[in-house]
Amino acid sequence: MAELLIKKQWTRAEQLQALEAGGKKKGRAAGGWMADIAAQKKVITLCQGCTHKFNPKRVGYRKEKEFPVCQAKCDGCSTWDPFCSWYIYEELYTTVRSTAEERRALAASRAKRIAHGFL
Amino acid sequence: MQYAGCLCGAAPVIKRYKASATGMVAGAIVCAQANGSSGQMIVTAATATANQLGSLLDTGVGPNAPITYSTTQGADEAVYGVIVNPDQMLRVLMVTGATGTALTADTIVTATASGLTTIGGTSVASPDMDQGIVWYLSGANVGRSRTIGSTSSVTATVIVPFAANAIGDTFVYAGLNIGLQGMTLTTSVQNVRSDIAIATGVNATTIDLELNGISDSYVTATLGDCVWCQTT
Repeated sequence: MAELLIKKQWTRAEQLQALEAGGKKKGRAAGGWMADIAAQKKVITLCQGCTHKFNPKRVGYRKEKEFPVCQAKCDGCSTWDPFCSWYIYEELYTTVRSTAEERRALAASRAKRIAHGFL
Repeated sequence: MQYAGCLCGAAPVIKRYKASATGMVAGAIVCAQANGSSGQMIVTAATATANQLGSLLDTGVGPNAPITYSTTQGADEAVYGVIVNPDQMLRVLMVTGATGTALTADTIVTATASGLTTIGGTSVASPDMDQGIVWYLSGANVGRSRTIGSTSSVTATVIVPFAANAIGDTFVYAGLNIGLQGMTLTTSVQNVRSDIAIATGVNATTIDLELNGISDSYVTATLGDCVWCQTT
């Protein structure tokens, strides 16, 4: 599939914004930047236009599904978006999030243990 | 600590902030930096906190080298993802002790037919568990909980009676309860200590309790001193 490569024209405002903490720096390819963030196991936020380009499983990430959107700056295109998808490093997931399945299993386990007389 | 949604049901707002110090751990509450600090945030202390920014989502640890706070020229800047919603709810495991071991179960040593007292082997008056919560792990009251109305030595008295208890029944108590502000964290600042007197420690307010066994009971809390509401 042919791909058009168009050199991005950075404005002064965009250059300054790119220097903001955690942002993609001027001239940096989005793919390489994403790989860097993933290597650091940081949370990744991607807007609707960028999220389909990211394969979370390949880099050990898990998409947050219980809260499917967040408001954040897209790590792909550096744009603030109120409908970003967010991805958490798999090993850190249970530290910072719990899923409905886990809580459901805990509730079922509780009921079962009570039935057996010891919580 | 696990992000468990916002009171208003809104989507989480995620920002990236610069660390002012080392010790950033995923799930911890982070606070605005003190005047004159280098970065933008510090991790909460275990026993007190002010000007909370939100909860940390990552550790910033790379596969080869940790991305940590550094003042060395040329070092990577330590930047972390933070959920900043002021009304966020955090689900936290209840533990005992500074290092975070399982809750300590106590055993009924004197049975009471009225169900108004739980008389165990350890003191509930020091640290004082008055207004905290007590729940049974075994016996006729297994799974049931009550607010502690008063304490004296090893006796916790409740106002709404349990069923009659028996010698050997096991129970657990915690210095936490709905609407109480203050919880002491472990040294890792990731879990809540249940063995500390009520309303002590970090400014976080209990909104929910999941009273299960000694290793899988949780408290859900909101931030009580959020910098987005008022700087203190």
